[in-house]
Amino acid sequence: MKRFIIISLMAAMTLPSIACGWYGTDNYYLFSPYTGQNFKDRVEKICNDNWKAYIGETSDNEWYSFHADDVLKAARKKGDALMVSYVQNLQKYLKCVGVERDKQYEWDYPTKEEIAAQQRDLKAVREYAQGKTNSKLRSQHALLFMRCNMVLGRHQENINFWEQTASQFIETVYKDMMKNIYAGALYKMGREVEAGQLFAEMDDYESLMTLYYKKRSYEAIRQHYMQNPTSKALPWLLTDFVNNAQEAADAITGGGGAVGKQFIRDINNQESLQMQQFCELVVREGKTDYPIMWKMAKAWLEFLVGKKKEAVDDILAAAKLDGTARMKDNAHVLLLYITASQAKPGQALDDYLADELEWLKGKQQEHEWGDAFFDHFENRLTDQVLVPRYRSNPVRLTAISHALDANGSGFDLDTLNVASTEKFLYYVNSPANTKFDKFLKRHIVLNDTAMSDIIGTKYMRLCQWDKAIKWLNTVPVDYYNAHRGKEYLYYSLVRQWDVEPWSQRQWLDASKAWDSDYKWWKQRKLDFCKEMQEMENSLSVLKGKEFEQRCYNLAVRYAQASIYGDCWWLLRNYKSCMDSVRVNEVDLGQKAIQMLQKVAVSSDPVLKRKALFALGYRELYNDVKGTKYWTDWKWEDGESVQIYHRNAPQFLAFQALYEQTGDQPQEDYIRRCDEYDLFRQYYRQHH
Amino acid sequence: MSIRRIVIWIGLLLCLLTTGCNEQKAIVELAEGNAVYYWRTDLRLDSAERAFLGRYHINKVYCRYFDVVMDDATGEPKPNATISFSDTLPDSIEIIPTVYITEDCMHETHEGLAEKIVKRIRQMNETNDIRNVREIQIDCDFTSKSCKRYYQFLKEVRLSLTSHFSPLTSQLSTTIRLHQLAMEAPPVDYGALMIYNTGDPRKWEERNPILDFRDVQPYLRRLEGYPLPLAAAYPVFQWTRTIQGVRVDHTVEAEVILRVKQAMESERSNLSRLIITYHLDKDNIERYKPETYEEIYHH
Repeated sequence: MKRFIIISLMAAMTLPSIACGWYGTDNYYLFSPYTGQNFKDRVEKICNDNWKAYIGETSDNEWYSFHADDVLKAARKKGDALMVSYVQNLQKYLKCVGVERDKQYEWDYPTKEEIAAQQRDLKAVREYAQGKTNSKLRSQHALLFMRCNMVLGRHQENINFWEQTASQFIETVYKDMMKNIYAGALYKMGREVEAGQLFAEMDDYESLMTLYYKKRSYEAIRQHYMQNPTSKALPWLLTDFVNNAQEAADAITGGGGAVGKQFIRDINNQESLQMQQFCELVVREGKTDYPIMWKMAKAWLEFLVGKKKEAVDDILAAAKLDGTARMKDNAHVLLLYITASQAKPGQALDDYLADELEWLKGKQQEHEWGDAFFDHFENRLTDQVLVPRYRSNPVRLTAISHALDANGSGFDLDTLNVASTEKFLYYVNSPANTKFDKFLKRHIVLNDTAMSDIIGTKYMRLCQWDKAIKWLNTVPVDYYNAHRGKEYLYYSLVRQWDVEPWSQRQWLDASKAWDSDYKWWKQRKLDFCKEMQEMENSLSVLKGKEFEQRCYNLAVRYAQASIYGDCWWLLRNYKSCMDSVRVNEVDLGQKAIQMLQKVAVSSDPVLKRKALFALGYRELYNDVKGTKYWTDWKWEDGESVQIYHRNAPQFLAFQALYEQTGDQPQEDYIRRCDEYDLFRQYYRQHH
Repeated sequence: MSIRRIVIWIGLLLCLLTTGCNEQKAIVELAEGNAVYYWRTDLRLDSAERAFLGRYHINKVYCRYFDVVMDDATGEPKPNATISFSDTLPDSIEIIPTVYITEDCMHETHEGLAEKIVKRIRQMNETNDIRNVREIQIDCDFTSKSCKRYYQFLKEVRLSLTSHFSPLTSQLSTTIRLHQLAMEAPPVDYGALMIYNTGDPRKWEERNPILDFRDVQPYLRRLEGYPLPLAAAYPVFQWTRTIQGVRVDHTVEAEVILRVKQAMESERSNLSRLIITYHLDKDNIERYKPETYEEIYHH
């Protein structure tokens, strides 16, 4: 089946359009009192499985989708004329649906003739389908009939057809879809309450959102409850309210998702308080089938507005009330979250977490298809509660982030200091002493070779070459060939660390990474460490020009290995334009500057000019705090204005170079430099 | 269309034709009228909205037909949130197709974009039996960075308009934010001056971000000499948002709207000729007393 086409059409055709779309968020919600699988996802999967079975597709491909040609081919082979005609008409219907899509998003807006043809085709398909509602494929044809009616706006006809005929059909996914269209038709005909009950029964969240878009406030929910305390839409409305309150709370603490807030509705503290009181009232009235749901909603809302003690009392009370198994599980995880976030650190908390997290892992194993609630809970618990709680214990923190699923917002192994990283490796490979350690170690999967590379690389970032060599010695070449991407291998093989980056950039076309099967045959990182170790160790015994040349050569290598160098691959597995020098690493740009400054006073004019030119290389200064480039742009009165910093080290280096070479430098590498050329143009007039 | 309005339109056109080569263009007067923006995704009016049109003698509806947004997948602009026409407007009301273009569409030149937009508007009119369209309006929050490209784009829209609509009746207008008054005037027949969203939303505690007289004041001196006819668009909407967990509803007091209107018209009297409110909606109608609307629409 074309992805979501039926349902998205339902949403588009049967319900009013809303200007703001409803999106999910990666800020996982912890209030999830029912396991309902979204109607759209559920029916799509079943339909696809049915088509897969029909055409005899036996692969495990979960993402199979309907292709009319495949089905027609299979149907013809089976001599299934009825299926052939059904699929042909289904195709015609889908084409008509495409016209609706074009209206929204395509430059070619449909013409009157195309709309007329669409209407004509819809009527023809409708007539065909109606005539087959007693055939072997009655459910499919009845669905097709109702779909056509839906697009044609014949909603009353769909209501009649469902009530008199289709509701008597045997239970199939097609019947579910017809019921969904029926609910949409009820809505269209003004029977909103009935429609809402049906959409809730079917877990059709998109339709519920459209139906109740403007009826999701505390007051609207209260009125809804007063009219029908056991309304099937109430769990959805309450969930929506509580989750929006979580969004609002996250907006304050900054604990939301990385992709930014997508507010569905704003809940302020006052409205949250009203809802808390109302939840209590509902529990006391005893009219609801699910008091646990209302009580835990109250507890979670309290927690979100900072009423932590009340939250504990209420979540404990909720756990004793009636509700479904899912609601009890939800109360359980909320109790875990609320308790863990305020318990004092210590053995008792560790033991509690060990038991509870083991329970959680068990729940993750049991979960139904499409229900990732327990995974999401683990994610949020780790990021929001456990990582902050164990931040003072880097080894435990590292263990938690390896044993549990986290988004990584609170912890990054790459920036952990090397001593803690070594301790972590030792911790993992030694026997566990406590219940919590036992839990963590049971769930940590670690590759010792990868850890050796990580620790070795961390020492490289500190320029501690001897220790880096010790760790990298244990990492075979094959490890890199197996665990690095094609681009990484290509870049690391082609780019050389002894090329002066200020004179020659080693630009590469990343697409060429696929042209050959690039493999390391030598441990490149280890080679670099050995070379640096030897060059640095012997520096102190050198004198005069030899010393200056060595300093210059070291500067080249520091600059190349820095994040802004072409050989970034030495210290990183990947590079982003947003990257900079991180904590627990040496600024190699700064080290290169220090070396070049020794050379800039050389009595050898050639070497001196090279060093001065290199000191004008802006990539060296990216992370040097407080340092400005020689020229910059700033916004002034709506215009971009160029400004000059005459005290910038880059400026001073270029100035010294200018004084050395005059306005017409002889060296080709200086003349080719556009930045120096700009400097000359400026300095010529302003010195 | 009344004889009087035909004369005015022809007059306006002639003025433009005859003054086209002069540096100092004479500013023509806009036809007097009352208008609203319609900014929803389905043209469907309830009884209150329909009554509003009659009560305040609305003769123009600037109707958002669709947005143009950048398609991340193709890197090209594409239509989005196209309006459906479930209802029709009374015959006496002129509909002005309005297209909102996100500013990033103007960060680079997109060949044929103007033609695509005009063609799509024409097709929407034809398909939905919308007749007598004489004008289109383009809404874009252009900046000094995108201004040049946007103006070139407007010129192309005008060219396309003359080939897809009757050249004698094809008007082009664009929205103009207050800060855009400081820039060169866009190449259109007139601008709809958006007298809203004037403040810094971050400083909402100090000033109403929708409209505050103090934010308008610096621009008053630019009104008189602005070399383009201007319609005035006033805010009647509410903006709800959450700031640090607190729900904040921004609305503009009637007195503020009227004070700003008075100040602006005293700088440029013909700013009262064509008055628009943003936007037609039952909630917005109920937000202000009828006397306020009467004052806003007072010429």
